Amino acid sequence: MVEASLALLIHPLQAAEYSGESELLAACRRREIRAFEQVYLTHGGRLKSIAWRILGNRSDAEDAVQETFLKLYRGIEAFHAESNLGTWLCRILINACHDLERKRQRDAQPEPEEKTAGPKNQLPLRVALDQALERIHPRHRMVFLLFEVEGLRHAEIAAILEVPEGTSKAWLFEARKELKRMLTETRR
Amino acid sequence: MILECGDLERALRTPELMPDMRAHAEGCAACRQQLYLWDEISRLAPGLHEEWESPFLWPRIRANLAAEPTHRRTPWWRWALAAATLVILAAMLQPWMQPWRSGKSNNPAFLTERALQEVQMAEAAYARSIEKLSALAAQNLEDASSPTAAAYRERLTMLDSGIAELKVTVETNRYNTYLQRELASLYRQKQQTLQEWLQNANHN
Repeated sequence: MVEASLALLIHPLQAAEYSGESELLAACRRREIRAFEQVYLTHGGRLKSIAWRILGNRSDAEDAVQETFLKLYRGIEAFHAESNLGTWLCRILINACHDLERKRQRDAQPEPEEKTAGPKNQLPLRVALDQALERIHPRHRMVFLLFEVEGLRHAEIAAILEVPEGTSKAWLFEARKELKRMLTETRR
Repeated sequence: MILECGDLERALRTPELMPDMRAHAEGCAACRQQLYLWDEISRLAPGLHEEWESPFLWPRIRANLAAEPTHRRTPWWRWALAAATLVILAAMLQPWMQPWRSGKSNNPAFLTERALQEVQMAEAAYARSIEKLSALAAQNLEDASSPTAAAYRERLTMLDSGIAELKVTVETNRYNTYLQRELASLYRQKQQTLQEWLQNANHN
């Protein structure tokens, strides 16, 4: 912990210095740590949020993000820019989350700590939506999360989940329908 | 188009129908409630994005990345596998490379015939050298009356008989490499037997 704090003081997060994604990728292939830092600055927030939604707590979410960057570092040569880097990172992250989930299931099963995290003064419908999201079909939830919460496009979601774009759209519709049904029930 | 309550799901699937569905919902509380929820889901969803400060996450990641080897070495077995693949490929391509070297046709039939001719020429040369060795040993071997000499004579007779039989078989199946190898093996045995006998005779 102390080491990490010192490291942060000595090396605060750096501002962008790569003009485009191809230049950034080239630097990543040269294993320049600053390039990975740039990737973290650009995508870290979204990755944490997605991981938190899947894993249910911040500590595991951060572990998943860390694992994602390790996999990115080790496998950067395998990335050939047929999709964008953010999409590829999301795919690695989701796999890392599933690995962590499996590991967690094998070990003792701690209760998810923070599923109701967030400001307490939210509208009841926002809380109900948050809770309903936990109960819908996992793949519908994943598409909803990526599209509605994180703002990805269907083409990107299709690339991440390796499904046709039409499937992504259909799953989103199913997610909304399930959520609407659950919200209708809670409001009765 | 006039839509009714039963058209709600169809309208939600088809954006073009939504204005008509909303028109219906103005006079229908149940559908108005459903459309309200539908819209609210999308409106509230971005608020589910979770942000928090992680001051130690990047330093932790950076420390892990720095500990990774910069250049990932290829495992030794991959090199071995690649080398083995190259050897096998070279062995498979060798017959096709011969005509390229000599500038001749790459017709497979021609190749087989030429390879066979080379084997037969080598065999003939080998047979001639063994015959010379045999002539050298013959006089000595025929004159000797010892049981050892008798055993060598018997073995050489057997080998000659085997060679003769196999040569006939090879003539009917000229491209059979197994038979060619067997014939070469018999020649080698005859050569060794003659050499042994000559060494034995010189010692005595």
